[in-house]
Amino acid sequence: MTRRLAHVGVVFLLLYGFLFFRLEIIQVLNADALRNHPQNNREITLVFDEPRGVIRTADGEIVAQTVAVSGRQGRLRQYPYGPLYSHVAGFISAENGGAGLERTQNDFLGGEDLGVRLQDSRDLFIDRSRTGQIEMSIRHDIQLITRAAMAGHVGAAVVINPTTGSVLGLWSSPQFDPNHLSSHDLMAVTSDYTALSSDPNQPLLNRAEFQSYDIGSLFTIVTAAAAIEEDLGDFVVPSIERVTPLEGSQAIVHDGGACGGDLESLLITNCSPGWATIGTKIGGGKLNDVSQRLGLTRTSPVRLDGSPKGTLETESLNSSASYAAVGEGLKATPLQVAHLFATIANGGARMQPHAVSRVRTYDGKVLEEFTLNPLRQSLSKETAAELRQLLAENVVSGTAQNLSINGTPVGGMVATQFLGKHGWAVTIAPVTLPDLVVAVLLEDDSFSDQQVAEANVAAIARRITEAVLRLPSFKVGGS
Amino acid sequence: MTRQRIVELTLLLLAAFITVATVTVAAVNERVALSWAVIPYLLGLMALWAVTHLALRRWAPSSNGLLFPITALLQGVGFAFMIRIDPELADNHFAWSLAATCAFLLALRGLRDLTWLQKVRPYVGVGGALLLLAPASIARGPRQLDASPVIDLGAISIAPQQLGNLVLITFFAAWLSQYRSRNTAEHLGQVQPLEGDPSRFLPLIGGWLLTSVIIIFHSDMSLAFVTFVIFVSMWWIAAGRIRDLAILLTAIAGSVAVAAGSIAETKSIFAAWIDPWANLELGEASIRSSFALAGGGLTGTGPGGGSADWMPGATDLFAFVPVAEELGFIGGAAILLSYLLLVGVGLRLAVAARTEFDTILASGIAIFFAGQAWASIAAVVRFLPPTGLSLPFVALNGSLLITCNIALALLLRISETAPNISDRTQLLPQITLQSQGDQ
Repeated sequence: MTRRLAHVGVVFLLLYGFLFFRLEIIQVLNADALRNHPQNNREITLVFDEPRGVIRTADGEIVAQTVAVSGRQGRLRQYPYGPLYSHVAGFISAENGGAGLERTQNDFLGGEDLGVRLQDSRDLFIDRSRTGQIEMSIRHDIQLITRAAMAGHVGAAVVINPTTGSVLGLWSSPQFDPNHLSSHDLMAVTSDYTALSSDPNQPLLNRAEFQSYDIGSLFTIVTAAAAIEEDLGDFVVPSIERVTPLEGSQAIVHDGGACGGDLESLLITNCSPGWATIGTKIGGGKLNDVSQRLGLTRTSPVRLDGSPKGTLETESLNSSASYAAVGEGLKATPLQVAHLFATIANGGARMQPHAVSRVRTYDGKVLEEFTLNPLRQSLSKETAAELRQLLAENVVSGTAQNLSINGTPVGGMVATQFLGKHGWAVTIAPVTLPDLVVAVLLEDDSFSDQQVAEANVAAIARRITEAVLRLPSFKVGGS
Repeated sequence: MTRQRIVELTLLLLAAFITVATVTVAAVNERVALSWAVIPYLLGLMALWAVTHLALRRWAPSSNGLLFPITALLQGVGFAFMIRIDPELADNHFAWSLAATCAFLLALRGLRDLTWLQKVRPYVGVGGALLLLAPASIARGPRQLDASPVIDLGAISIAPQQLGNLVLITFFAAWLSQYRSRNTAEHLGQVQPLEGDPSRFLPLIGGWLLTSVIIIFHSDMSLAFVTFVIFVSMWWIAAGRIRDLAILLTAIAGSVAVAAGSIAETKSIFAAWIDPWANLELGEASIRSSFALAGGGLTGTGPGGGSADWMPGATDLFAFVPVAEELGFIGGAAILLSYLLLVGVGLRLAVAARTEFDTILASGIAIFFAGQAWASIAAVVRFLPPTGLSLPFVALNGSLLITCNIALALLLRISETAPNISDRTQLLPQITLQSQGDQ
């Protein structure tokens, strides 16, 4: 019996050994990965009712602040503009974690960052509440413009400065009021949060940054870039109406009858069979190469500073070059689309988009300043200039005529996807010396037909572009 | 005063010191709202330990001196963390500790002669099965998926399943020791061996039936796990044969497969185990527990610095998480070691015990502690599906605390009668592996 007792003892020794090992994996070996997990809201929950710095816009409006209140907690996080910045600044909540800058800049805001915490040597010995302040690149006036233009629609709009990558406005609707989530009334917070997270329209989702949509015919500008690089700039596609890439597969059809011509006429007529022909000629390898350079495939998706990366972007384009050339099966977020066109506008240099321009200490000293972060030269200057030319022509005489603005030359594209029920519009303005790129996405707006849909989404993009350009403080040539 | 009691007193002082230190460090942390009002409860807990120690001096002076300090340490750490999470839990914890100490004293005083338990074996068996199975039938109705059913008595609710397990351990011990004596006689050639004797399978069928009823009809996988582990270990110690073990494991696997394939509750628990992200309702706690554990890291955030408010079930089912988060991997490992030490002492007692009944009973109780603690922690680290098992002595779970204290009293009672194995220190459990041979 002693021997059998020993068996049992050894088995339990082994079982507990597994537990030790597993605990070591979680707490020591794998701890960093778990701590930085995008869904991990432990840190931010811990600092919920601690002192916390303000978040400001570039023009000085306070977007989030912590005020003293009476009651057990003593401090309350407030968002003076309510839903206006719900997706940029995000929220912080006692039980539901946080989002947006509140989450990604938590170390600075909460004073966990050593640079914020230790202003001089005495701070090593006094546990003083030091917090940092965040200054965004987002401008209050531009944010208001995007909200006005998107009123009543579901979708997202991104305004970006192509030369620096600064995000000037970022709107996603539907939105929510972060004040409801930061409240001390935990019962009310729970019911509000449950309502928000079970809403089919997903108001908690930042569509501009985290929701991918079929890119559709916007991708043809990438195909055009590949064609130019392959010296097919003057290649003329014979007039065709449909292309069937594979035996028995779905044909790529142009609705307005046969079309063809050079790159310019393909773009202004949105001639999908023509693009498919060019795509076959260029080959899938080249298309994949160009889209990887532009950050559409095979890299971590473009996100704002410090945002959780999430899953990998599409591994590669559609295996058939004809489908790939017209953007079949490729998804992108509105931020990515804005980033793509900003790269073209910026002479082919990709700038990391960012929403935080400065971090200040509690007494206003600049602690960290955003510096230009060029990711890579994705396209040559010449190619980018030719692409801008195409986009300008597209607005003058092509499918994006709805985007034209009096007095300013504009380049842009409009695309609709009836399968995904959403539409895109992108403008580069002024196209000669770009100051801003505006990308708009509208979701399932029960469009009656393609014309109306394109007109709708283009009208919003145009309105935003026009209003931003006319802002008295928006100087041409920099911001 | 015997040597054992001196060891016990020394270690108790150490446990008290660790408890007070943990409470103090937590109270200094600004995030914790601890007031002076918890001090009477802390002193009360120590007073209960003192009473237990005095009772052992009087009624079981030569019983093992390691067992009680280990459980006291676990209980003290549990108390420190409960009041750190919510200072208002102090009176609740103290009330249960008081009840548990009373149960301990009653068991220690009342069960002087364990052979009496052997005589009333049938009643013990029926009683144990009732305690184990009845609550699920009485408390039918909406219940949380990851918790065992409880009997609600207004102010307090009781979950007698673990007590049922303990009573069944006694029954198994009585039954298996009797069964084993025939087995031995057969082995020694005193009785004619019966080739293909079907009675050999009776314990197996009994254990399988019991476990399957819990798995399939009560869909309480965690309780079934503990019951099964206890049974299988006791049976193996008493009369295990490798071929029968294979048969038994296959039969249980069949029951689990039936439950996992057809019962909605079990299905959702398994789904939450495999992919907690897709099943947030059940899986969220285990996700948060891994985040919290990772946040603690090697050395922990220090008592009071963790995220226990954010961790659902931190006082009961996930009681291990705040401990390992705030004391770090080192603290979590220390807790694991404490349980291992408890099992080690228990098994060593089983080796030394005077009668076969005592041996099997002691090993059963040791495995009860070990299995319950192991399954509870294994669920926290996602080794097992989400269970409804609390950590013995640490979690704020009154029914379990009382049961564990009674089990502890039984173990101490067995150690009182066990002849002393010559051992220079008596401080560390020595699992005698091969040196003693098969007795």
